[in-house]
Amino acid sequence: MTKFIFDLDGTVTKRETLPLISKHFGIQEAIDNLTKETIQGNIPFVESFIRRVYILGKLPINEVAQLLEDVELYKDVTKFISQNFENCVIATGNLECWIKKLAAKIGCCCYCSDGLTENNKVVKLTRILRKENLVKRYKSEGEKVVFIGDGNNDVEAMRAADISIASGLTHMPANSVLSIADYLVFSEEALCRQLNQLL
Amino acid sequence: MSSAKSVVISCAGIGSRLGLATTKALININGKSLIRWQLELFKDIEDVRIVIGFQANEVVEEVRKYRDDVVFVYNHRYFETKTGASFYLGARDGNEYALEYDGDLLVHPDDVKMLLEQEGEWVAYADKMSDDAVYVKTNQVGDVLAFSRDQGDYEWTGPCCLKKDRLRYSSGHVFNQLEPYLPMKGIKVRACDIDTYDDYQRALEFIKGW
Repeated sequence: MTKFIFDLDGTVTKRETLPLISKHFGIQEAIDNLTKETIQGNIPFVESFIRRVYILGKLPINEVAQLLEDVELYKDVTKFISQNFENCVIATGNLECWIKKLAAKIGCCCYCSDGLTENNKVVKLTRILRKENLVKRYKSEGEKVVFIGDGNNDVEAMRAADISIASGLTHMPANSVLSIADYLVFSEEALCRQLNQLL
Repeated sequence: MSSAKSVVISCAGIGSRLGLATTKALININGKSLIRWQLELFKDIEDVRIVIGFQANEVVEEVRKYRDDVVFVYNHRYFETKTGASFYLGARDGNEYALEYDGDLLVHPDDVKMLLEQEGEWVAYADKMSDDAVYVKTNQVGDVLAFSRDQGDYEWTGPCCLKKDRLRYSSGHVFNQLEPYLPMKGIKVRACDIDTYDDYQRALEFIKGW
């Protein structure tokens, strides 16, 4: 069987969710600086993620979850997922409490990071999803793994996957992604055609 | 239009023999990039797959000016491999039949139309024209019997069409992919490929007749 693992932000959602949250809560400067430093390679991804959760964790969980639930999704990609929900999973570094509602809307299994919550806030990050471990697990179960992603944090998972598709639907994928991808697509039509060919 | 056929355009190479310091897909032929000429030939094909390697970002940028629904396929080992590897990579996750079209090839549009209507597997060849050619030996009805570096009835230019399951990863050329399956149905076309600067000059003339 083929297992399709999708990154969430910018791959299934039409927008990156982080800038959306930071704009809504007026914390663009702090988040933008962190993002910039991470993209430039000055801060390793895990450190950046921990610092990001520290900033966002102070925000009310229900408001963040509502904001994410309302984010627009790629229709054809979501349709492919719902038609093949048993073979599709989402892999996102986002915390479960933030994306629970959004994941329910997409309708397939969703793997994410976990945090300890108290009074509608995140008080502690308890587990960070390593996307590559998910790929390795499915492969060890005999699945052929296809990974669809666009960011630096997808690279190791894409490298470990049997087939990797760089998605340029929302923005040009990171150079690190392009350096290891099997395929590169820029439209839902091309992506879904390729996904169907891989079924 | 055939939905059961993918078109694989191989544009991964470094174009070293041409000496224009650019991958062949981007060379200018009468005001249009070579890849643009090719995209026009295949505008009605749903699954166009473009194999990229050398100057990948520039090729992507050029293609996207005209069409956003192609699947780009990476041949990261473009320096060590030839078109045989690109054909395999481009075809392996595509439709059942893969039409291989070299990124340095120009085929008369009427002949492309005719080729797209062909069923099954086939090999296309042209009158001898290039400086550094591989030749095909044919029988009386034009089927391809063999490829040769030394002599033959026509010049091997491609394109060709093969079931994707018959392709293997190889460091050789496309004709090496075809050799195990000879004899194959052969089709003569008006085509020229661009390997050297003289070929390039000939292509400019060739296209004037379209």
